[in-house]
Amino acid sequence: MGIDKVEPSDAELVRRVRTGDIGAYGALVSRYRDRLGRYAVHMIGDREDAEEALQDSFVRAYRSLARCDDPARFGAWLYGILVNRCRTTGARAARRRRLFVHDAQALSGAAHADQADRLDWTDAVDRALARLAPEYREAFLLKHVEDLEYDEISELTGAGVSALKMRVKRAREQLQKYLREAEHV
Amino acid sequence: MFEPGDETVERLIQHLRRPVAMDAGLDARVMREIAQASSPRRRVWPLPWSVAAAAAVLGAVLVARPWARNATSRADTLQFVLIAPQAASVSLVGDFNDWDPARSPMQTAHGIWATALRLAPGRYRYAFLVNGVEWRADPGAPAAKDDEFGTPSSVVTVGGRGS
Amino acid sequence: MIIAALLLVTQVVAQDPRLERLDPDTRSAVAAVADSANGVGLPVEPIIQRALEGATKGASGARIVAAVRRLAVDLGTARLTLGTSASAPELEAAVAALRAGATPQVLAHLRDVRRPPLTMALSVLADLVASGVPADSAGAAVLALAPQARDADLVDFRRAVERDIALGAPPGAATSVRLNAGALDVSSGSPYSGNPARPRRP
Repeated sequence: MGIDKVEPSDAELVRRVRTGDIGAYGALVSRYRDRLGRYAVHMIGDREDAEEALQDSFVRAYRSLARCDDPARFGAWLYGILVNRCRTTGARAARRRRLFVHDAQALSGAAHADQADRLDWTDAVDRALARLAPEYREAFLLKHVEDLEYDEISELTGAGVSALKMRVKRAREQLQKYLREAEHV
Repeated sequence: MFEPGDETVERLIQHLRRPVAMDAGLDARVMREIAQASSPRRRVWPLPWSVAAAAAVLGAVLVARPWARNATSRADTLQFVLIAPQAASVSLVGDFNDWDPARSPMQTAHGIWATALRLAPGRYRYAFLVNGVEWRADPGAPAAKDDEFGTPSSVVTVGGRGS
Repeated sequence: MIIAALLLVTQVVAQDPRLERLDPDTRSAVAAVADSANGVGLPVEPIIQRALEGATKGASGARIVAAVRRLAVDLGTARLTLGTSASAPELEAAVAALRAGATPQVLAHLRDVRRPPLTMALSVLADLVASGVPADSAGAAVLALAPQARDADLVDFRRAVERDIALGAPPGAATSVRLNAGALDVSSGSPYSGNPARPRRP
């Protein structure tokens, strides 16, 4: 089953929402749900908290849609709302609850020994991320996972570009250190 | 710039870039919250269908949540949703309506089929009947495992007082 | 007098217009099963609904009759386990739990540790097993939560476990993890509550 037509652009959907077609907002939610969800899950470290942050962000974005100056860049604008929302979530949830945050690919289709290895690696990744300072984790995820440019990240976070580059560099160094520690345990 | 020792970090990055599937029911929760804020007068029934359209989501998704709880009654109003853009008709059929497809035809907007029912406490088997011939279980609800008639069904349970 | 009352019930069931969807032989057989059930104090409505389900789905008369007979027997077993004060919804949920693999001992224990109605607790038990959780794990989890959890908490627990399973967690382990996570909040009065301060989701 599929929808056999050209998808409307973000700008078009925003325009429709602004003229009263609330249903068009549903298309925007679907479009960005998983991508923004990935950031929220890795940043917050808890699936339920991440979903709540994501839900709040979408609702907040709808209510302040008039302040989206460039509808063509709705995604980036939405990111900014989510980044701020994730900051207020607070400390990461108990690690025990993160055991099953991973996507199904990490745990499917492998032999038992491989599966145990994947679980160990995934757990090591989660723990390493959790040990990063929030501003380092934020910068690292936005740059290397979400593929944003430094000037975009600067706009979202309010930090200067050189400060962001330093945070990303520190994050890489620390992650390398934590992962190596995990390998030698 | 690739440096020795960066391999581990690159492997971590590739791992983190894997898609993460969020709960597809989140779309409906967002739309419902927006609808509640948008209505000029807060309504419980019926749901404005233009808002019920979470749209652009392929496949079947259920939201069966208590839409509102009447403080003086033990019954709950539950909303049932099926996304089926290609369907010409969808009925909700189950223990609550004598398995009569004519009793709860669902309304559609943008391929989203929905209806709401008030249910007394109990456990109900149900399914969606699409185009009068195809039985579909609700992918977002628990499955009714004792499927004696060869077609899929789902279950919804409404708690009693104090739930 | 009692015989007359029983005959009257048989007539009432047989005259239920909803059963006209069945062919005469099937209708008669279903009415007889319903009558027997009613005669021993079991609810009739679940039996009628199961017959109607079969009729709507185009099942053969034989299949419908087999299904309602099996249901009547299971309702009786459920009533033996939960006691004569169990309501119809509780009995239906108990049937689902027993068919899922819960033992009568687990159901009896649930009856002892949780105030009625037990409908949601029994349903959650059945639904967890339907998701792939081993019956003994599901039973143990529900029994652990039953004394204090509200119905809504049990539903949240089930959804959380189902979500973890969908993400690839082994069902038994997913149940244990969620149960242990909730155990920390017993003092808050809600055995399963990820964050007591968080507003309840719709």
